[in-house]
Amino acid sequence: MSGPEAAGDGPLIQRRYVSGLLLRLCVNTAGGVGILFVILYFALSRPFPGDYAGIFHALRNLSPFLRPVLAVSVLIYALLACGSTSALCVYILHKVAGPLYRMELVLDQYRSDVPTRTVSFRSGDQIQPLAHAFNQWIGTLRRDRQRWLAAMKDAERHCLQDETTCRSEMEEALRKIGEDMARYR
Amino acid sequence: MKNPSLPTPRPRIRYVSPRFQGPAVLAFAAIIVIGGAIFWKLVDSELQRVFPLAAIRGHYTFDSAYDIVRDLLSWHLAGLFCGVFLTGSALVLLLVAATRRGIGKAVDSLRASADGDLSTPTGTSPIGEFNRFGEKIDAARSDTLTSLQKIRREAAALAAGGMSAAEFRLRWDELKQRIRTIAP
Repeated sequence: MSGPEAAGDGPLIQRRYVSGLLLRLCVNTAGGVGILFVILYFALSRPFPGDYAGIFHALRNLSPFLRPVLAVSVLIYALLACGSTSALCVYILHKVAGPLYRMELVLDQYRSDVPTRTVSFRSGDQIQPLAHAFNQWIGTLRRDRQRWLAAMKDAERHCLQDETTCRSEMEEALRKIGEDMARYR
Repeated sequence: MKNPSLPTPRPRIRYVSPRFQGPAVLAFAAIIVIGGAIFWKLVDSELQRVFPLAAIRGHYTFDSAYDIVRDLLSWHLAGLFCGVFLTGSALVLLLVAATRRGIGKAVDSLRASADGDLSTPTGTSPIGEFNRFGEKIDAARSDTLTSLQKIRREAAALAAGGMSAAEFRLRWDELKQRIRTIAP
């Protein structure tokens, strides 16, 4: 995507962004499960005593011993996976939340009559068509505004002639502006 | 010493929207916690069963407890990975679909505004943050429409005539000034 047209017609959420998010989620989940495996492996891989009776007793007593080990390892997994997934979630979703926040600021500025500049998001940000649609709307309004002001200015030029022509041209310009504004509903 | 001629690098802004990212983080955390709890429950009950059984059976050909539960653990870990990843993926796709729907409505609304439709509401979305955003867009459109309608009424009143030249000129200048405030 290069030009503004491409940005406007482009997808709201790019496929690459979604696949990147899924890939990171996969790596994150695999990492969490891997950590859980490593903890359980070290807990379970201690060699049994050499004699038959020793192994028997070790096996008989292993279940109660493993219960807290399993609980703690699952807890560690949950904490690590939750932490990393939360960080991933915040990092990835800011590519949507950021532009949204920026658009909110722009809308607030627009409503408080602060001059609005053309909105453009950072490269890599999603929802690019939103900025394009907003710019398109503001652009249309500005073009209309220029046309109306030009019509008024044009009518004022007739004031160099006589008062009656000036007044009638001004009234004609106002009627045209009124008709033009009728498309806004 | 700091060189004043060098511009200070602009900090990279990382926007965090608790209303949008917060529920997503909580949903992912819930998936992980539920997955972990199910894994813990299943593996714990299996371990309580497997080791006493192995003790009774005899023929101790294994070196460690891991040799006994290797397959069991592998399957359950694979199950945990698949369960968490697939549910997480479904949540990601759901989030993307909701974002597409919510922001898509906002984009449609702005495109309609460019065509002159400033009154049709943006519509609702399953995510509250997008609803709020849609309301902001509607408020901006509504302000614009109100302003345009005022200008239009004033233009119609002026075009109708019936006022002195001085008053007409004054109101004409005011109207011009008001038109200048559209989309500043």
